[in-house]
Amino acid sequence: MSPMPEELTPFERNARVLLDESVSRIDGRTRSRLNQARQAALAAAAAHERRPFWWRSFTLMPAAGAMAAALLAAVVLWHGEPTGQSPLAEGQRPAAVEDIDLLADAEALDLMEGWDGSSFYEWAAAQNEPSGQSDG
Amino acid sequence: MPAALHGEVHLTDSSAESRSRALNQFLASIELKAFKIAQAALRHEDDALDAVQDAMLQLARAYGERPAEEWKPLFYRILENRIRDMQRRRTVRGRVMAWLPSRGEDDDEEPDAIAQAPSPEPQPVKRLELDEAVGALERALSALPRRQQQAFLLRTLEGLDVAETARAMGCSEGSVKTHYFRAVHTLREQLGELYL
Repeated sequence: MSPMPEELTPFERNARVLLDESVSRIDGRTRSRLNQARQAALAAAAAHERRPFWWRSFTLMPAAGAMAAALLAAVVLWHGEPTGQSPLAEGQRPAAVEDIDLLADAEALDLMEGWDGSSFYEWAAAQNEPSGQSDG
Repeated sequence: MPAALHGEVHLTDSSAESRSRALNQFLASIELKAFKIAQAALRHEDDALDAVQDAMLQLARAYGERPAEEWKPLFYRILENRIRDMQRRRTVRGRVMAWLPSRGEDDDEEPDAIAQAPSPEPQPVKRLELDEAVGALERALSALPRRQQQAFLLRTLEGLDVAETARAMGCSEGSVKTHYFRAVHTLREQLGELYL
């Protein structure tokens, strides 16, 4: 393991001294428990190594099975999802969907350009008038 | 059984033994510092011991066959994950306990009379100053944000370089430098220059 190559500042050096002092003050009971933990870890690793390969593979079966099930579910959902036209008929599409279409339509925005508002009122008034009046 | 096969079996056994010895030496060399790092994060001795023990077990089981030079960053990565799990669990437990009626803290724990008794020996002034400095540093470290604390302890206490610290923390080297710089800045502001 490579040591820290950087130059330490006095603060960092002193902090390290204090931290080492703090480690050296760990009591005997804690040291003993850490030693026991280490021995337990080494024993568990040795027991794990002694098991035959097929058994170690067998212990991975539940995880592998769960992953396979999740994959299968994903594939089923993916294929079951409709990919063609919307199941709603054209006339049955909700208004909100049409609104989104309108907002997303770039041509509609082009039509809006140059509109000052007055032409709309003229057009609306003409719609309410009887056809004869508007002509004459 | 052929001699070659005997030799192979013997070689395999000795290789497993030497790896176990190396792992033992490695774990012995880091266990105290790892405990200190876990204790600073969890602020609880038994939880810190549990976290170190779990990390040792997982390293030995899952990564014991990896090259020895990879063990240290791997171990601290596992330890960090374990600490984070414990902190999350503690947060959830705290939320649940907040709904339950309080029984008062540590009702069942009586103070240790021996631990609380004043020492009959007068402490030398130097020793007292060192005690105070260690205590102040530990308190300031506990108050640091978790990532800054981790970067500072891995670099200063464990002596990992920036790349190893980044592997242990699961972040970029740039992030390690930033966390470390901020930690040093905060600690220096709080503790001064730590003249010993």
